[in-house]
Amino acid sequence: MIIEALIGFTFLAALVVMLAPDEYAGRLAFGLSLLPVVGSLYMWSQFDATGNALLEGGSLAFETQVPWLTAAGYQIQWFVGVDGISLPLIVLATVLSSLAILSAWTPIDSRQSQFFGLMLFMEANLLGVFTALDFFLWFVFWEAVLVPMYFLIAIWGGPRRKYAAIKFFVYTNIASLIMFIGFMALVFNLDVNTFGLPAVAVALRSGGLSGAFGLSPTALKTAAFAAMFLGFAVKVPVVPFHTWLPDAHVEAPTPASVMLAGVLLKMGTYALLRFNFTMLPDVATQYAGVIAIFAVVSVIYGALLALAQQDLKRIVAYSSVSSMGYVILGLVAYTQLGVGGATFQMVAHGLISGLMFMAVGVIYNVTHTRMVGDMSGMADRMPVTVGILVAGAFGYMGLPLMAGFAAEYFIFQGAFASSVIPVAPLFTAVAMFGIVIVAGYLLLAMQRTLFGPFRLETDYEVTRAELHDTLPLMVLLLCTIALGVAPDIFFTMIKEAVTPILAIGGGA
Amino acid sequence: MAAFDYAPAIVLLPFVSFLVSLGAALYGDDVLPKGGALAGIVATAGSLILSLWVFFTVSAGNVYNQTIYTWTTGAGAAGEEALELTFGLLLDPLSSMMLIIVSLVALLVHVFSLGYMNDEGETGLPRYYAGLGLFSASMLGFVVAHNILMAFMFFELVGLCSFLLIGFWFREPGPPSAAKKAFLVTRFGDYFFLVGVVAIFATFGTGRFAGAESFPVLAEEVLAGEVAVNTFGFAPTTWFTVVGLLVLGGVIGKSAQFPLHTWLPDAMEGPTPVSALIHAATMVAAGVYLVARMYGFYAVSPTALAVIALVGGFTALVAATMGVVKREIKQVLAYSTISQYGYMMLALGAGGYVAATFHLLTHAFFKALLFLGAGSVIIAMHHNENMWDMGGLKDRMPVTYWTFLSGSLALAGIIPFAGFWSKDEVLYEALVHGLGTDGGLGTIFLVAYAFGLLAVFFTGFYTFRMVFLTFHGDARTGQARDPEGVGWNVKGPLAVLGVLAAVTGFVNMTPVADLFDLDIEYLHRWLEGPEGVEFMSALSAHHYLELLESDVTGIHAAELDPLIPGGVSLLLALAGVGLAYALYGRGEPEEYTAKLGGVQDLLYNNYYQDEYQVAIAERVVLPLSRAADKFDQSGVDGVVNGVSSVSLFSGSRVRRVQTGLVSNYAALVTLGLTVLLVAFGIYGGWLL
Amino acid sequence: MVPAEWYLILAAAVFCIGVFGLLTRQNALLFLMSVELMLNAANINLAAFSYYWGNVTGQTFGLFVMALAAAEVAVGIGIILVLYRNFSAVDVTDATTMRW
Repeated sequence: MIIEALIGFTFLAALVVMLAPDEYAGRLAFGLSLLPVVGSLYMWSQFDATGNALLEGGSLAFETQVPWLTAAGYQIQWFVGVDGISLPLIVLATVLSSLAILSAWTPIDSRQSQFFGLMLFMEANLLGVFTALDFFLWFVFWEAVLVPMYFLIAIWGGPRRKYAAIKFFVYTNIASLIMFIGFMALVFNLDVNTFGLPAVAVALRSGGLSGAFGLSPTALKTAAFAAMFLGFAVKVPVVPFHTWLPDAHVEAPTPASVMLAGVLLKMGTYALLRFNFTMLPDVATQYAGVIAIFAVVSVIYGALLALAQQDLKRIVAYSSVSSMGYVILGLVAYTQLGVGGATFQMVAHGLISGLMFMAVGVIYNVTHTRMVGDMSGMADRMPVTVGILVAGAFGYMGLPLMAGFAAEYFIFQGAFASSVIPVAPLFTAVAMFGIVIVAGYLLLAMQRTLFGPFRLETDYEVTRAELHDTLPLMVLLLCTIALGVAPDIFFTMIKEAVTPILAIGGGA
Repeated sequence: MAAFDYAPAIVLLPFVSFLVSLGAALYGDDVLPKGGALAGIVATAGSLILSLWVFFTVSAGNVYNQTIYTWTTGAGAAGEEALELTFGLLLDPLSSMMLIIVSLVALLVHVFSLGYMNDEGETGLPRYYAGLGLFSASMLGFVVAHNILMAFMFFELVGLCSFLLIGFWFREPGPPSAAKKAFLVTRFGDYFFLVGVVAIFATFGTGRFAGAESFPVLAEEVLAGEVAVNTFGFAPTTWFTVVGLLVLGGVIGKSAQFPLHTWLPDAMEGPTPVSALIHAATMVAAGVYLVARMYGFYAVSPTALAVIALVGGFTALVAATMGVVKREIKQVLAYSTISQYGYMMLALGAGGYVAATFHLLTHAFFKALLFLGAGSVIIAMHHNENMWDMGGLKDRMPVTYWTFLSGSLALAGIIPFAGFWSKDEVLYEALVHGLGTDGGLGTIFLVAYAFGLLAVFFTGFYTFRMVFLTFHGDARTGQARDPEGVGWNVKGPLAVLGVLAAVTGFVNMTPVADLFDLDIEYLHRWLEGPEGVEFMSALSAHHYLELLESDVTGIHAAELDPLIPGGVSLLLALAGVGLAYALYGRGEPEEYTAKLGGVQDLLYNNYYQDEYQVAIAERVVLPLSRAADKFDQSGVDGVVNGVSSVSLFSGSRVRRVQTGLVSNYAALVTLGLTVLLVAFGIYGGWLL
Repeated sequence: MVPAEWYLILAAAVFCIGVFGLLTRQNALLFLMSVELMLNAANINLAAFSYYWGNVTGQTFGLFVMALAAAEVAVGIGIILVLYRNFSAVDVTDATTMRW
């Protein structure tokens, strides 16, 4: 019941905040958002699931399965539960939402109650995405996440907010549609009578698929895999489906950027892992080389693009493309460290990119510019913020004993000896070159904005940031270091959940 | 052993001092007395005492190789056992010796910083001491690491500290740029290192340095055909060479070897004590130390050894020639550092494991001494580093002069100072192995030896050019005539290091031992390690020698009297010193190097090494990224916007139907109805 | 008894007059009247068929249509008033400000 309580409470909190007066909305929202944090941490402490949620031989934690309605002979259920892959993401979503709300106190100065209400509404839907195990239910949450994000960008965004919001919404929505068609094509030709994801996964592997549309079962699988991969690749985003991301990030208000980079992108990789790589491992292993090329291109090309940017937010946005490429590489490796590391990277990147966006946002609050050329020597005026930003940047570069290094190292180690990816060592080595480019663009940007003599091209008085601005940064930094020093906080349960995937991956 | 139980504290003490200073930095400069220096001094002193305790415990025949904390575990390949990713300590003769070097130099640098930073009225001192504390902790962690992943992690942390400390004066334009360059260039090397680490774990399933299940031992067994590992389709020798060279990438970056040496001279933008600690005595040594740490792995790959020797010898010579024309005292020392680490690489490559370790030891002391001495001079000169503005400081700052002279004699390799013994052994090892080894490998060793030998002359020359310009002759500026005095906190560390630079060589006087048949090669014996400890047998110096002489590697030493090569190198060094005296030691010195013309420009610009590397970054990578950005904006995003523009365009056309005139709508409806009726009529068959 | 065809022809004629008015007039009031004509054409049909089949359901619907026509006039007059207020005329071709 705790999942229902968590989601229900967050929806309720969203409603309450929507109706609250603007002056108190921020504080109220932050206070209310702490309860889901406590709830998710409680779930972490009580976690007792074994195995993978979609595969036999395990047990879910906090499971609820209630019939909801029947449509066209298919049973739709309220089916939620948690395994070692979803729980870290739930904790990430609650913690990051809470901190994003806190970081929004300063920059959001109009229609606060609606803003914070939408943030909580989004959080509730995110929790739904990461817990739902029935396709219909999952899809409802999946689509519902877009709505608050659309408004967050379109109302509180920058000068080109309309363009960015519509691009974001339409692009990801069309992708969802393609993915939906792909999945439905599978289910309708499968001998199941439910949208429950575990049942679908089992039926797919037991060969219950019949051909359709003139395609053999194998061809149908491949087509469905391609459709779903395309759909999720937009969300991740994988090059070349990434162009909505920088626009959305640049125009979005900082707290929305934090959520977008920190959690929303992980929906894509989470879904890839759940659908493509767990349900259709045979197709994934067959086309591992192609997928690995997508991954490597994302890493290197994304990093190169980041190098060319002048807007701090754009830099972090493109570097997200690069970091998510590692996730794809880890997933397709089909090794414990590879898939586990990819899952760990979802959490690690969520924390670190959230930290980076927040820190850039704090600087933007006082300078009202994010362009690299407009400022320098910010370390002189904002030592604490800049200190944390530097720490976060090194975390992004994969500094050991921070979460990013752990995740990236796991992925590299897992991918290097993967028997699924052809010429795995070469792919891995090329992808690893990303760690040099990331150091290049982050160091260059830091040198030009944070260090050197102080200079600012805007007419604003630079003051020290408030405690409630820097507090979320510190919390995120500490989380990052904690996960880097003791990855087993999450990695043990992640390993437990990904190991069954490897067995079916055909990698052995 | 009790000492081993407390060994983690060697690393943790400086880390605590880092936390203390960091906390103080958050609250301002004045929270801690001396800006946090005391915490650092206490911590590094504690580390030094514990290191000595460990040293004596090791010398009593105990060694330690234990995992302390399991980071995590996980399988890196299908159907294989989970890899153990751990933190642990390996305390053997090599690491316990290095612990003392690092903690001693760290302590002295902390003390020296009181004079260089506190007394000079710097601000932001807690940040400075936090950096020093974190650096000491990371470096000590690197030294005691018992597996290569842990070593890599601390290797990177050390790089971070280097970045933070080079960029300490972040308000000026130069230091942040130098810090960026240092981190980026070493990161480029570390990329190869990380690939190597991953490859080692993927190949051997372990990253341990010592023990029956360690990767050097496994590599040896694989080559002996006893066990099989995944070599990714290559022959084991080839693959081990590839892996070894990958790890070597990190070594070349960190130890500032050609062609990744360009960051080190720039790193002199940092405070001088930092240069002494990080960019001379310890961090730069990390690369060489790493090769020594996993020497068993390199010893089975002749190709890797040849590369190491050649890179080392070449770097030693090239860097020494560049040091000849520099005007700033710290720049001379920077190039000399690069050159000296080249010697160590040369020794390692040419099979002189003990010689390299020996030079590592002596160099740490005399180079730290020279940098601190330079720091003392810089204080006196009110932070003017140009040697042409100095002169005649000998009488005005005698302590600095005499200690600096001790360090210079050691650096130049003049008997009986420390550097003579170690450099002589390096060159001797290269020579005998070059003569004794057949085929191309022997030739390569001889070429590397020739480089090294030639560099001896340049070393003697630039060292004493520096000494004469700085201390001898008449004062050339007002600053030099009236230098600022330095306190005990500067003189103390100088005195300690001055003595060490003079006497450290006596621990391993191989030529004397051979000549008089004495048993005084203490370092050789020390690096043999205690008898009867299982894992030590694979880490001992004679085991490495066995590996080198095995059929796999095939390196052999020729019989040669050590006196003649030692005499040759001493003569060369003296010739260099003599030339320096002739040119700069008498009367008013001139810029003789200006007469070199184009050669001087070439040397002064470091053979244009920086230029081409900057050109790669600025003319290749940046334009490439801009082109990618352009392609992304117009190409990839162009397609996206193109697709959307189709619907936007068609929408803009189709909506013209909505004229807003209700009559038009009515007409359309009527027309539609009529068309429907006609159609029904035709198909219904009752109209035509 | 008059055959059903004549009623249908009458209804079609009335409807066509209504459509003609709708298509040619620009005055909103005349629009309303034309619509009334069309509705009543439908009413004639309903009554005629009701009589033809001897079933009162059609006449019942006729009553519904009358009620509907009354409601429609009420709404229509309201719209016309707003139109007049905004454009100072009851010409339907003026009100094109919301297109595109």
